[in-house]
Amino acid sequence: MSTRAPRRARVAAVSLAITGALVLSACSSGGGGGPDGEGGEDTAAPETSAAISFGDAEASTGPAEEVPGATPGGTVQVLQQTSPDHLDPAQIYVSHESNLARLIHRGLTYVRLDNEGNYTVVGDLATDSGTVSDDGRTWTYTLKEDIFFNDGTPITSADLRHTFERQFAPFITQGPSYVQQWLAGTGGADYRELLPEGPYEGDHLPDSVLETPDERTIVFHFAEPQNDLPYALATPGYAVVSAEGDTQEAYDQDPVTSGPYQIEDFRSGRSMTLTRNEYWQPETDPARNAYPDSYEISFGHSLEDSTARLMADNGDNQYATSFNNGLDAGNGPTVMEDPAIRERLIDGFQPYVATLAINTDRVTDELVREAIIRAVPLNGVLNAYGGTIGGQYAGGIISPLLPGYQEDYDPFGKLANPQGDIEGARALLEEADAVGYRLNYVNNTAPEDQQAAVAIADALESAGFDVNRTEVPPETYYDTIGVVDSELDIYRSSWGHDWLSAATVIPPLFDGRQIQDGASNYSHLNDEHVNSEIDRIRTITDPAEAAAAWVELSQYIQEETLSFVPTFYYRQTILHGSRIGGGVFNDDLGTIDMQRLYVIQDEG
Amino acid sequence: MSSQTEAVEAELVGRSPGQLMWRRFRRDRVGVISACVVVTFFALGLLAPVISALYGKDPYTRYGQLDPGLLNQYGYPVKPNGGMDGEFWFGIEPFTGRDVLTTLLYGIRTSLLIALAVTVLAVVTAILLGIAAGYLGGRWDFFISRGIDLLMAFPQQLFFVAFLPIIATLFVDPREETPTYVKVVSIILVLWALGWMTLGRILRGATLALREREFIEAARVSGASPWRIIRRELLPNVVSPMLVQSTYMLPNFVTTAAALSFLGVGLTEPTPDWGRMFSLAAEVYRSDITYMFFPGVAMVIFVVAFNLLGDSVRDAFDPKTVR
Repeated sequence: MSTRAPRRARVAAVSLAITGALVLSACSSGGGGGPDGEGGEDTAAPETSAAISFGDAEASTGPAEEVPGATPGGTVQVLQQTSPDHLDPAQIYVSHESNLARLIHRGLTYVRLDNEGNYTVVGDLATDSGTVSDDGRTWTYTLKEDIFFNDGTPITSADLRHTFERQFAPFITQGPSYVQQWLAGTGGADYRELLPEGPYEGDHLPDSVLETPDERTIVFHFAEPQNDLPYALATPGYAVVSAEGDTQEAYDQDPVTSGPYQIEDFRSGRSMTLTRNEYWQPETDPARNAYPDSYEISFGHSLEDSTARLMADNGDNQYATSFNNGLDAGNGPTVMEDPAIRERLIDGFQPYVATLAINTDRVTDELVREAIIRAVPLNGVLNAYGGTIGGQYAGGIISPLLPGYQEDYDPFGKLANPQGDIEGARALLEEADAVGYRLNYVNNTAPEDQQAAVAIADALESAGFDVNRTEVPPETYYDTIGVVDSELDIYRSSWGHDWLSAATVIPPLFDGRQIQDGASNYSHLNDEHVNSEIDRIRTITDPAEAAAAWVELSQYIQEETLSFVPTFYYRQTILHGSRIGGGVFNDDLGTIDMQRLYVIQDEG
Repeated sequence: MSSQTEAVEAELVGRSPGQLMWRRFRRDRVGVISACVVVTFFALGLLAPVISALYGKDPYTRYGQLDPGLLNQYGYPVKPNGGMDGEFWFGIEPFTGRDVLTTLLYGIRTSLLIALAVTVLAVVTAILLGIAAGYLGGRWDFFISRGIDLLMAFPQQLFFVAFLPIIATLFVDPREETPTYVKVVSIILVLWALGWMTLGRILRGATLALREREFIEAARVSGASPWRIIRRELLPNVVSPMLVQSTYMLPNFVTTAAALSFLGVGLTEPTPDWGRMFSLAAEVYRSDITYMFFPGVAMVIFVVAFNLLGDSVRDAFDPKTVR
């Protein structure tokens, strides 16, 4: 998933206007609560997930399991900060676009959260989550009947072939590239050579790669076993695109859709109205309840604004929620401490884990690296992001959402001592005879990143490092740290999984064969054991066994290669109005599950 | 009656305009009080390190993060009123846990330093260019006045926001940490570039009026050089608009610098800064209004006092103007 993490929104106003107003109310009650770090349990997200299963044909048959008490009808208001830049499925990767896409686009599979809280990969357009053969090298999908686009044309295997072939077209640049790489059997951007112009020049993928023997069958052939394919196909990036209705670049503004809703009206940056797609058959869809008749989505709401509206819970705000706008740091404590508002809070984790990467190319002394790990103050970082409203101290790189997450994993005692172990770090530095070691540290100029960086730099300097801290704007931050020869030693990065498997975390971050400019191996770790383990774990077919192996590998990387410091897991806190029912947190989405929402109708 | 008359007669001695101004100013109670407030602010700024040493805290240490009992899980002070107590007199900053009193003092110090430097530079520039335009006239006047028009037409805030981040990179290798003084100097440069025109225009106007007066003509006839005329004849006569205008300019620069920090292009962490305190306060005021109280009240008092002082100075120079 994109490494873009949400920013704490700031309101720009004239400072004097504010200072004039504050004289009216000069006292404030205490923040109260326990000291830092204590009492974290009652606000921590409740659930962490077990391994998810692959659903068979029965689980993939619609209609979706009823949500208890739900009634159809009504309009849900959605308050969003950012308007989507992309509506073409192949261009959709960032979370605010994905969440919207899940209402209007359908793919071959979908990860469904059921009433008991279990996650299952079910067939969405396909009859099941996929039939695997050839040790994971061949996957066969059969399309359901009665599936249509919103223009009334039936969805056939030709559309699916087109969907995957156009992923190779030069104008498709923003979406995920997992399946393309698997089909081409390459890493990086080399997959494009398989079909340089996409399907538009009359070229097609050979049957040895992608086979569509009849109208309803799609067969993927991979060079290597790809056991995560059902998850990958559930991401909105691989949702179906109409072969006939494909307008190439223009599709991004006006796509043909297949989900229960279609775009009635979209004014970029302002609003979007979703209404029912009359061609969508609930009997074919095991994942979407689609209770509301319509969605009114409005954009441009700062976190302060959406939180204040949802706290007020008046008028239309009773029917409102958000897919991405969490609590702001100013209102957050009020929401958390007020039971009447708190009961309307959907609480969980975003997929992102914030870490401080240590460039192992440059900081080659393991003692120095361990000194950095010990000195970093987790509370200084997390406080900058709003304390427990912003996240939770991280012990490892495996997010609490992922199967196999271990809550008490804390190899360097950082959860117990979030101030950082300055003495321990200094002792290590002295042992390495490296007191005064110069560290090039870059952070971006977003206020919270600055604050966190100041705390980290301060702690490192008290431990005996000489920190050379530079700043770049947030827009160019990831480009800066993505340069292999950047001459930087430490920098923050936030990484989130693309589906509920560490296969989308460990390889991109730590596979030494993928080090290149713009790649995400920010630690520049190239460890033979890690590389071979990555290859081995990828061949494991059992999801639970694979999950355990990934966790074990992540712990090896953290403890033996000393290449990064996990700092915190981003939290997601979504408020909804009192007339919205069915609000639950969905770990796969990392936000409220929009498929289960319904409007609580007036009595009588 | 008679004793008063005698007293007036007894005081009938020659006084320079400056002495007259000073006497009038001393009689203006508001003026004297605001002058005291302004002097106090400058003293606080100058003595910030001393106060900090006596009080035993500094604006850089993250007290709340190092001592686990001070901030709650959301990063706000545990104690009421922003964490005010015998230890932290003005409370502690949310999230970072720094001491508010010393942060504010150091913030005032940097703000006043920047504002003072800009004011001095702007006044000098305005004198040079304003008087040159007014006295030399002709082509000089035309070019300088059009230059002033051009600069005044610039959208100021936009210019500041666009140029401040660039200026520092001119001086420092992007791989090296930008020293604080470079940031300060770049703020001063940018504020100066767009801060001198109003006074420049006023001085040009005043010079234009004075140029045709008899004493200037007399000096010219007697063979005085233009430089001497400007220095000895013109300058003393434009002191009053200059002083009045600069007492308005200084608080204006303080608020502009604060606004720049508020917008995120001013001084950056960890340098204590007045404007950034507002920026944080605007974010946290719903849960911690106290954090806005001290910097806010200090700013209001400072700006009001400086503006009243400006009024009083003007009244003292020119008692004929009715307020």
